[in-house]
Amino acid sequence: MGAESAAPRAAGEDPEQEAREALVRGDRDGVLAILVRAYGPALYRYCRQMVADPDLAKDVHQSTFLQAFEGLEGFGGRFLFRAWLYRIARHRCLDALKIARRREKRFPGAGELPESPDPDPGADVSLGERDRIAAVRRCLGELAPHIRSAVLLRFQEGFSYDQMAGRLRERAPTLQARVARALPGLRRCLEAQGFAS
Amino acid sequence: MSACRRFEEEGLLRLEQGLPLGEHFATCADCLAERAFYERLRGDIAAAGEGIEPPPGWEAELWAAVAQRKASRRRPWSWWLLVPAAAAVLVAVLLLRPSAPPPARLALAVEVETGTGTVRRGAEAHPGDRLRLRASIGEAGHAELRVYRNNRALVLRCSTEPPCRRGQGTLEAELPLPAIGSYQSLLLTSERALPGEAGAGLDPDVAAALETGARATLGTEVEAR
Repeated sequence: MGAESAAPRAAGEDPEQEAREALVRGDRDGVLAILVRAYGPALYRYCRQMVADPDLAKDVHQSTFLQAFEGLEGFGGRFLFRAWLYRIARHRCLDALKIARRREKRFPGAGELPESPDPDPGADVSLGERDRIAAVRRCLGELAPHIRSAVLLRFQEGFSYDQMAGRLRERAPTLQARVARALPGLRRCLEAQGFAS
Repeated sequence: MSACRRFEEEGLLRLEQGLPLGEHFATCADCLAERAFYERLRGDIAAAGEGIEPPPGWEAELWAAVAQRKASRRRPWSWWLLVPAAAAVLVAVLLLRPSAPPPARLALAVEVETGTGTVRRGAEAHPGDRLRLRASIGEAGHAELRVYRNNRALVLRCSTEPPCRRGQGTLEAELPLPAIGSYQSLLLTSERALPGEAGAGLDPDVAAALETGARATLGTEVEAR
């Protein structure tokens, strides 16, 4: 059932509605299959950029869905499944980073996340653009994790501040200020890497 | 660098707040240039996520993990019901896994089981709750689970004897939390016999183990209060 590869969503398909209906039927496997198909790749992208290490990202990604699966009975339906998944993923990523930092502090060298090659941004991107996007990725990686999370959720995943605030249990003005302050920091980082404009 | 800094200082926040920009921002050349830069930066951030795809076979691995989680919760008399599902998952994993299997990764999962039987991941617990440790040890010749209270007192140490249970590539144990404090779990693996406790707590013990070539994996630290 769940083992087929991720398929693009057909027009008019509403994974939130489908998942709600499956949940009402008590079909937990069905709910998970819908969420995996609809949100799995994007959620991995978020995890990968949060923790950088592909192996750790894979673990965090999987544990996000496992935690969601186990928490389905308590899912009240007041929020979007998508926002709920990202909230779990954010916690798992921040936990993973905290453990890696603690390990590094205790055993220098043991908890350091390995450098991994940047994924190819796509064949239709010019060489200059590739370099710039690679630099943007590096600069995003230098942001503090909670700031990086807000920037990714806002500009890559398209969450509104109200959606982010509701599920992340933070105030929208705090998140707005966090993102607005992060952008000049990203700019300085890009400029330091030779991307002035 | 632009001479007028008002866009960075005010304009960026107003845009994130969804507020209109004032007249100055429509006429100031510096601010217009700044705005164009940041609009491009937003696009660059969005583009930075493109091309990042989950590894092949991730869905099959997730479903295998779900099946394993269900099996561990199931009553013993119904184990045979899992056989067809497990076989299907195994076939799916074999079909969809990458051609070169990744090396076994060591991992130590920590869960807290409360007095009411609720199991959760997380870093908080109460005295009397049970810590459930589940380690993937690959094909390590020697493996040991340890738990230290407040990074000093060794409150659990086992390998093949109770409370440890060693399975195919796994090592599991449970520990009732006796008192408040922080509980740090540790998995040690080695091809050689593992050293005993150095006697002065977590850090010296890990240092002693690493010196013998062992690998150390820390679990989530659980705070009982």
